[in-house]
Amino acid sequence: MGPSQVDRFEALILPHLDDAYTLARYLLRDEHDAQDAVQDAALRAFRFFGGFRDGDARAWFLAIVRNCCRTWQRRHRRDRLHTPLAEDHTTTLAAADSADAVALEGSERAAIRRAIDALPAEFREIIVLRELDGLSYADISSVVGVPVGTVMSRLSRARRRIAAALAQTQEAG
Amino acid sequence: MTTNCVEVRDALDAFLDGELPPDQRARVRDHLAECVDCARRSDELEAVSRRVQEALVQHRAPDVLKARIRAAIADAAVAPERPVGWGWLRYAAAGVLIAAVSSAATLVAARRTAPERSVASAVLESHVRSLLPGHLVDVASTNEHNVKPWFDGRIDLSPTVPRLDSADFRLVGGRLDYVSSHPAAVVVYARRQHMINVYSWAEAGANTAPVSSESHGYHLVSWRSGGVEYWAVSDLNLGELSQLVALLRR
Repeated sequence: MGPSQVDRFEALILPHLDDAYTLARYLLRDEHDAQDAVQDAALRAFRFFGGFRDGDARAWFLAIVRNCCRTWQRRHRRDRLHTPLAEDHTTTLAAADSADAVALEGSERAAIRRAIDALPAEFREIIVLRELDGLSYADISSVVGVPVGTVMSRLSRARRRIAAALAQTQEAG
Repeated sequence: MTTNCVEVRDALDAFLDGELPPDQRARVRDHLAECVDCARRSDELEAVSRRVQEALVQHRAPDVLKARIRAAIADAAVAPERPVGWGWLRYAAAGVLIAAVSSAATLVAARRTAPERSVASAVLESHVRSLLPGHLVDVASTNEHNVKPWFDGRIDLSPTVPRLDSADFRLVGGRLDYVSSHPAAVVVYARRQHMINVYSWAEAGANTAPVSSESHGYHLVSWRSGGVEYWAVSDLNLGELSQLVALLRR
C-alpha cells in the first residue's frame, strides 16, 4: 500500500480513534483489553481499507472495532461476561444519604451508568452507538449486522430497562 | 388506550430519534397532541434518552495507543515494498508519532527555546524517541542472559539486567543510546502497555538516593550508585516506577 493510501487512512479513519476506544471500553469494560482490541481493529481496517469505497467511514470502522471486541471476548472469556445484577446496586443506593441534592444527582447518574453496564452486550452496544455516537438506525444496523427492525426493538427495550432501573432507585431514595 | 396508542408507543423511540418516515411521523405527532397518556410516555422516554446521553462517558484514546497504531500502520504500509521507500515512510511515521504524542511536541518546542538542556530533558527526549517504530531495542530478548552479554565490548559498563517477570516487569531488551554527551546502556522493561527505559552510564561521584521528577506526563527517577548514573523513565505512574527502581537497586 502506497503513501497516498496511508494518508487517506489517516484522514478518514484515525480521527475516529476516540469513538472506537469508547465503544471498546463499553463493550469490554477493561481499558487494557479495549486498547488491544482497538489496535487490532485499526490494523485490520488498514488491511481491508482498499475495500472501503465511500459511505460513513466512522460506521465502517466502528463495525470492525465491534467485531474485534466480540472476537476478543470469545478468546478471553473470563467471568466478565457475567454482568452484575441491577438489584445489587439498588440496595447500596437505598442506604445512601439522599439529603444532598448534588449527591442525589450524582447517584442518579451513577444509577444510569450501572444500568447501562448491567445491560446485555447486544443492548449496550446499541445504546452507545445511538446515544453517544449518534448513529442512525441504518448505520447501527450495518455496524452490528442486524436488521433495522432489530435495532429499533433492542434500543427500545434497552431504554425501558434503564428507565425501570432508574425508577427503582428513585423509589428507594 | 386505543389501537392508535399501541401503535404510537411502539413507534415512540423511532419518532424521538427522527427515524420515522414523514407520513408516520405526522401521525404520531397528531396523536401526541391529543392523547395525554402517550404524550407523557413520550416525555419520559425523551428524558431517559437525555439522561443516558449525559451519563455515557466519551473516552479519549490514550496517546500511547494512538502512537502504537500509527507506528503499526506505518510498518504495515511499508512491509510489502521494504527496499523502496522504507526510509522515507519511516521518517514520515516518526513525524506523525511525534505529533501524536502531544507532550513530545512540547518537548521539541522546548528544546528550541532552551539551549541548555538538563540531563532530565535529554533522557526524556531519548525516551520519547525510543518509542518510534524500530527504535526501542537493538537486542530484543526476554532473557537476561542474552541482553547482558550484548553490552560487552559495546560500552564501558555492564548494566544490571535482572529478570523481573515475577514482579510483573517484562524484560523487552536493550540498546545503546547517546544521552547528554554520554554513551548510555539502556535496558527496556514493560508493564502492561507502558514502556520503561532504564539508562545507565559511567559518572564519577558519590552515591545518591533516588530522586523523582515529572515532566510532560512522564515520570523520571534518577540515582547514582558505584560510579554509575541511572535514569528510569516511563509514562507509568510514579508508584509502580519506584517499585521497579527498588527492585533494580536491590
